[in-house]
Amino acid sequence: MSTKTAIIAANGGLFDAYKVFNIATAAAATDQEVAIFFTFEGLNLIHKEAYQQLPMPAGKEHFAEGFKKANVPSIPELVGMAQEMGVTFIGCQMTMDVMGLEKDAFVDGIEVGGAVTFLEFAKDADVTLTF
Amino acid sequence: MIQTDFVLDAKGLACPMPIVKTKKAMKDLEAGQVLEIQATDKGSTADLQAWAKSSGHEYLGTETEGDVLRHFLRKDGANAAAEPAVIPEISLENFKEKVENGENLTILDVRELDEYEEGHINGAIHIPLGEVEQRSGELKKDELIYVICHSGRRSELAAQTMAKQGFKHLINVVPGMRDWTGKTV
Repeated sequence: MSTKTAIIAANGGLFDAYKVFNIATAAAATDQEVAIFFTFEGLNLIHKEAYQQLPMPAGKEHFAEGFKKANVPSIPELVGMAQEMGVTFIGCQMTMDVMGLEKDAFVDGIEVGGAVTFLEFAKDADVTLTF
Repeated sequence: MIQTDFVLDAKGLACPMPIVKTKKAMKDLEAGQVLEIQATDKGSTADLQAWAKSSGHEYLGTETEGDVLRHFLRKDGANAAAEPAVIPEISLENFKEKVENGENLTILDVRELDEYEEGHINGAIHIPLGEVEQRSGELKKDELIYVICHSGRRSELAAQTMAKQGFKHLINVVPGMRDWTGKTV
């Protein structure tokens, strides 16, 4: 039986994106079933435009060089990889309504749902993480 | 030198890419084949070990050459290469009888040192499970050996390891010291 990993992405910075997608791809590569619920600023992480240039935390901009040097994959690459490995992306309907965003503003293949959609998945998850 | 069937170049890639690439490469291998992963990510050693463990592959080891780590994994590990040997068992009760009758038994206790020190059967040889593979040479391969641990699980694993190394007469004591009511030292 495979392990289930449920992740909540609630923040929209570059660091947050790496935390979310590194864990998600690593879990998927380990044959875990993974779902990520993107809510509030977390939606930036899968927004077609926003996710191309997510902000570094203020005062930490100098890490940009480190990212380049460490040959860390870009967020769009990680998103693509996660999807290829079957990670489920759930966009939070309520946040989308509040922000006036439609499903087509986001990368292809996401589901849109409410809290219960995520909870249904998370209720028997072995690992639950919030970023 | 380990024979490799496929070499994956993951040099220069950061976490989690070596794992992601390994997962993809592993799909094309047949059970029992060995994948060599070349990586420069220092975290890859621990990651690949954990990954191998949770995905049922066997981690064979890592060689370091300058900045490059060469990891070796065998697909589906020992399970596919050879069916695990069936280790005969003896009930703790019957085993206790033998011990108390003063029979001359070779007993191998594979628990950790602190468990062993807390109390073990007089004369039991101590090799913790993690060291069995390297230290089994301290025992004779044609001798009858009773393997014991806390519950019977680690002793089975130890016996499996030893059976693969050519030990012929192994008996797993089930359960183990957890339910032992006899004398300990």
